Amino acid sequence: MIQLGELALWVALPIALWGTVIAFVGGRNRRGDMVLSAERAVYAVFLLTVLTSIAISLAFVEDRFDFWYVANYSNRELPLFYKISGLWAGQRGSLVFWVLWLSFFSSLAVWQNRDRNREFMPYVTGTLLTVMSFFLIVLLFADVYPFEKLPFTPQDGRGLNPQLQNYWMTIHPPTLYLGFTAFTVPFAFAVSALLSGRLDASWIQVTRRWTLVSWFFLGNGILFGMRWAYEELGWGGYWFWDPVENASLLPWLTATAFLHSIQIQEKRGMLKVWNMSLVFLTFIMTIFATFLTRSGLIESVHTFAQELRIAYIFLTFMGLLIAAGVVLILWRKDDLKSDNQIQSFLSRESAFLFNNLILLGAAFTVIWGTLFPLITEGLTGEKANVGPPFFNRVNIPIGLILLALTGIGPVIAWRRASKRNLVRNFLKPVAMGVGLVAVLVTIGTRDPWALATFGIGAFVMTVIVVEFWKGTRARARIEGEGLARAFVHLIARNRRRWGGYIVHAAIVVIFAAFAASSFDTEVRDSIFPGDQLTVQSAFGHSYTLTYNGLSTSRGQGDWVIQWIALFDVERDGERLGTMTAERRFYTDSETPSSEVGIRSTWYEDLYVILAEVADMSGVLGGQAGEAERAVIEVQVNPLVSWIWYGGLILTIGSLIALWPTEGRARSAGTAVGEAAEPATGPAAVTT
Amino acid sequence: MKRDKRFMIGLVGVAAVVSYLIWTGVSDTMVYYLTPTELVAKVTADPAFHELGVKVNGKVVEGSYERSTDGLVHHFQVRDLENEDISFAVVYRDVIPDTFNDDVEVVLEGRYRADGIFEAHTVLTKCGSRYEASPEELAG
Repeated sequence: MIQLGELALWVALPIALWGTVIAFVGGRNRRGDMVLSAERAVYAVFLLTVLTSIAISLAFVEDRFDFWYVANYSNRELPLFYKISGLWAGQRGSLVFWVLWLSFFSSLAVWQNRDRNREFMPYVTGTLLTVMSFFLIVLLFADVYPFEKLPFTPQDGRGLNPQLQNYWMTIHPPTLYLGFTAFTVPFAFAVSALLSGRLDASWIQVTRRWTLVSWFFLGNGILFGMRWAYEELGWGGYWFWDPVENASLLPWLTATAFLHSIQIQEKRGMLKVWNMSLVFLTFIMTIFATFLTRSGLIESVHTFAQELRIAYIFLTFMGLLIAAGVVLILWRKDDLKSDNQIQSFLSRESAFLFNNLILLGAAFTVIWGTLFPLITEGLTGEKANVGPPFFNRVNIPIGLILLALTGIGPVIAWRRASKRNLVRNFLKPVAMGVGLVAVLVTIGTRDPWALATFGIGAFVMTVIVVEFWKGTRARARIEGEGLARAFVHLIARNRRRWGGYIVHAAIVVIFAAFAASSFDTEVRDSIFPGDQLTVQSAFGHSYTLTYNGLSTSRGQGDWVIQWIALFDVERDGERLGTMTAERRFYTDSETPSSEVGIRSTWYEDLYVILAEVADMSGVLGGQAGEAERAVIEVQVNPLVSWIWYGGLILTIGSLIALWPTEGRARSAGTAVGEAAEPATGPAAVTT
Repeated sequence: MKRDKRFMIGLVGVAAVVSYLIWTGVSDTMVYYLTPTELVAKVTADPAFHELGVKVNGKVVEGSYERSTDGLVHHFQVRDLENEDISFAVVYRDVIPDTFNDDVEVVLEGRYRADGIFEAHTVLTKCGSRYEASPEELAG
């Protein structure tokens, strides 16, 4: 079975290459049979990659340590769950996993368009297969061959990095990969539109939906990563501005920009060159993200390896992509002319344009900060870098402008906003924002950035609520429905718009959680059993932890030493129960890991870290009787759960926007109806 | 193709703001990444370097580690990876990494004070080998 999977990987490449050639040739010569053969190649690559993936997981399950990859990422004692997910635990497997999803989405796109959008499909198929071929070439020839054999069979493997042995870590990378790979489909449609010269609205229709799918997975992938960092890295934070995190943020930012600017093209026929460029840019960002994660170009907590050959291959590929984008867009620039011009600074077009420019500005600052060590070393020969303080300083103001635009964009009128439009739509929301800030200042909040975030957040939230209320009320009146029914029907009638608003609400909730992190409180002390630690929370609660001592045990077949600190917890003098905080030492890989204790409520998290154990390492050990002395850190982090709630709301909003609209014919022709929302927008609903 | 003037103005405006943020951000938060030898040379050449945040990659001098009785303050010496004669004292008042011992390669972040003591606010240990092992290592 494993040999079969290995063979499948070798067979996949010639099939992908054959498909690529025949798709482009078939497209040029209008040979339907050739195109069909290319489409079958897509399905074939998918099936072959499934075989390869099963083979790799099987090698893990069967403890085949004669494979280099298995020996490095597993051992006999590893729980089955992590053996199966060994497929994406390291660089080599993740590249296979990447091709798996890429070929899956490609197959889905080909199947979905088996009898529509036929004019696009030859070049779409060709582009998809080109990308697949690229990754297959990397796998087979760039020193990352997943089936590499060792010259001997080790007794046991080196085990999986303990920090990766976490539930969120097993779903975080796959979700990100889904996002990265799904974006290949919009990219393929864009390339096809450029090559075939069919640059009307139809490619946008297909692309928008696929972009939303990709965006949805990227967003959730990023959130899962934050959850992992919060639970596993054990210092109470969830975002480090680590190169790999930044890499996943980049395509998310540019895809967000694209999802907004695409609406300007649909409704006003503008920004066509811009949108094309954004598709190329986002796709390049997904490749860049893979490249940063997999090449180890920049030091990071989770970069996998430092092979140079793979770095050059990726750089070449990205260079080719940029060149192809520039050439294709210049070639078709006459067909990409704007149908309209921006008429006023105070218009929805200009709000969307600002949103785009700022999102790209944010992406640029992130790239700059991430590549800063390379840039300075290249220019001055000195090594220097910038860390989280840089990213926070730069991106907090940018984020706040974006947040404000989230409120302005949906309700400002198209073309030219009248004074009446502005007053009617913004008076209440602005009043709410100012009101909230006034209340917060009165109760003693002084942090300017947090105040700004909460104020703008309240403004945006009010805009959204008012929109929902106006829409529901109007519908209830016109259709004679009850409010609840009208509300559901309202959303169902224009899922895209209302789903989008729900996503905006999620962003507000998440931003509020970010801002609340400036009110984190903590105490840290070195204590003995019986000692107490007390910490005040930003919401005025007082938590007292009594340390009840340390228990030591061994797990995973004696490979792991565990220290568990036990606490009694009281809030405002009332007993809440017990909590534990753990520290583990994985003897096989000589890596420590911490398992923090978290007691989460909807408004604040009590977060307990067993920071140091006296007898953990010889040199740190103290005198006798010190064995149970421990350094304990207790934090209270307000509103952290709002990030996860925000993620849930984001998922609901995205699913509403993505849900297929029933009753519409499955042809591209009628899909245009989706875009035919009244151009006057929400103003029309109220009048 | 007629140029969209407002688009250009917006682009230039946003670019200016972003550049300003990056410029001030970099100049206020940039951290030099140096070896102990380079750091010592820098502060001798320009005492203003004592006030700057720096990152230093060195090795803990064997036997130099001491901790306060409550375990919260750590003192040790760090030397250059290549030149054993260049070293300085480090004081660190935070949780020491589990992989820390008195023979490990470390990356310190902090300030090299004028009194010759490096006040670290971050100590990271650098594992000697990458997580992935070479076949030779697996054999052993």
